[in-house]
Amino acid sequence: MADQTIWAFSEKPALLAELIAGARQLSGAAAAVVVGPRALCEQALAAGADRVYWLGETSDSRLVEDYVPTLAALVTEQQPAALLIGATKRGKAVAGRLAARLGTSTITDVKRLSGEPGSYQAEHLIFGGGAVRTEQPHGLLLCTVGQAAFEPLPPEPGRTGPVVEVPFVAPPWQLQLRERKEKPPVSVNLAAAKRVVCPGRGLAKEEDLALMRELAQLLEAEIGCTRPLAEGLNWLPRERYIGVSGANLKADLYIGIGVSGQVQHTVGISEAHVVVAINKDKTAAIFQQADYGIVGDLYTVVPALIKALQARK
Amino acid sequence: MNIVVCYKLTPDAEDIEVKPNRTISLEKAEWNIGEYDLMAIEAGVQLVEAVGGQVSALSVGPHQTAASKAKKDVLSRGPDDLYLVIDDALANADTHLTARLLATAIRKRGPFDLVLCGEGSSDLYFQQVGLQLGELLGVPVINAVSRIMPADGKVIVERSLENEVEVLEVPLPAVLAVTADINQPRLPTMKEILKAGKKPVTEWTLADVPPAGGLQESVTVLSTLAPKQVERKQIIVPGNPDEAVQTLIGYLSKEGVL
Repeated sequence: MADQTIWAFSEKPALLAELIAGARQLSGAAAAVVVGPRALCEQALAAGADRVYWLGETSDSRLVEDYVPTLAALVTEQQPAALLIGATKRGKAVAGRLAARLGTSTITDVKRLSGEPGSYQAEHLIFGGGAVRTEQPHGLLLCTVGQAAFEPLPPEPGRTGPVVEVPFVAPPWQLQLRERKEKPPVSVNLAAAKRVVCPGRGLAKEEDLALMRELAQLLEAEIGCTRPLAEGLNWLPRERYIGVSGANLKADLYIGIGVSGQVQHTVGISEAHVVVAINKDKTAAIFQQADYGIVGDLYTVVPALIKALQARK
Repeated sequence: MNIVVCYKLTPDAEDIEVKPNRTISLEKAEWNIGEYDLMAIEAGVQLVEAVGGQVSALSVGPHQTAASKAKKDVLSRGPDDLYLVIDDALANADTHLTARLLATAIRKRGPFDLVLCGEGSSDLYFQQVGLQLGELLGVPVINAVSRIMPADGKVIVERSLENEVEVLEVPLPAVLAVTADINQPRLPTMKEILKAGKKPVTEWTLADVPPAGGLQESVTVLSTLAPKQVERKQIIVPGNPDEAVQTLIGYLSKEGVL
């Protein structure tokens, strides 16, 4: 009989812990696939894995991706009910190549998983957040899952379980790593911001961001934006745009200023606690997505708001 | 360099209509080249401009993909010729079937040095087809490529991951999926638009390029629904700007978010 265990794999230990928790939630039995230092196997057991498959370490001449044939052989042999892969770029590369070898499709960036072994259902967003699609795989559930889909379990140090060392299957080709460069640190983590001030296309020119910054400083808020301001106008860096391929807020307060409220953007504010919208167009879609709206020209409303907030201090 | 660029013609998400029962309709949607595929096309054209060779565009999909406007659009962006596999059964093809069809079509077209794909399709955005395609063709494949530098018998690429950039040597032939910021695709010039209508187009049916493993899919789509609207209070704060912001501050204090 096929295994009912759900497997979790990510090269990022924190994300692996979340996937292990997800696997336990879904089936009760979780196995972790570990690529990296041996100590990560104990960490995976402490995070709730009942069993660990240790594929080996990485080095400059052996990348995570070089383990794809090893992982494919292991999945074929052990037949898990599902394999959850951390939705990083690397994770997606592993998932895609694995899917081709296993003759199936990967469901990427899954937001919610439900069902029983053999009839799992996975939800993910399509059309830039404009729709939620629910899919059921015919065989193995192979999916990638990003951060914060599952809460990690409290670690239990000293928790034990079998660690299976898996022999390396040599890949047919390898890429040569010439160099690894650090990326400049990301200037902001909007997902962790308490308050966010978000200008949209209603902002007339780049210099007017100063007004947004003044408001943000008073509120101790971060600046976010809609996609056109980051991609196209390039007024703000890419990591500041909110929406389906950008940041998803969990903020207490979001203030959208001159934001029209297209679904590609508002999908990123659906978990904000309080949403405020300022827009001169009273028919703007953002007002249906807001708790409090002010219909008016942002160039009079925002200065008034700044003045009133200063008076409170 | 002999290059194939893959693209998908997709319905514009802005034209989606939401029905009262949350189902969606694409009937009125305009179909365009996927916005991330434009970068793959541009990258292919730039490589050939730099080192010589030729670029073929390739797509598999339903009849919209073969509309004359769509064919002209892709060819006006620089590819020398176009290959299409058209069947309405492909309207909802999963990533595995799409990759198998592309692999079959690429083999039928002949030898290649490089296949380029976008980061993901702009409708479903699985970011998987390029990776599966490389694996099915049995050649090196990598995603998140943000720079391509041609060298002798290989390309040196920069791969932009979450926190680091890898510089990798990729032996050819290979398949690369490029990032959305690898380049700024140029707009077609009038000259290119006029030339586009004269470029060769090869249109195949499924009978011409039967995919290994047949047409069966590996996932069933159970539903496609507009996202549930979050319940919001939708209070429009009245008054002139000075009054309105005072009332707003009152609401926000009560909510405990100031």
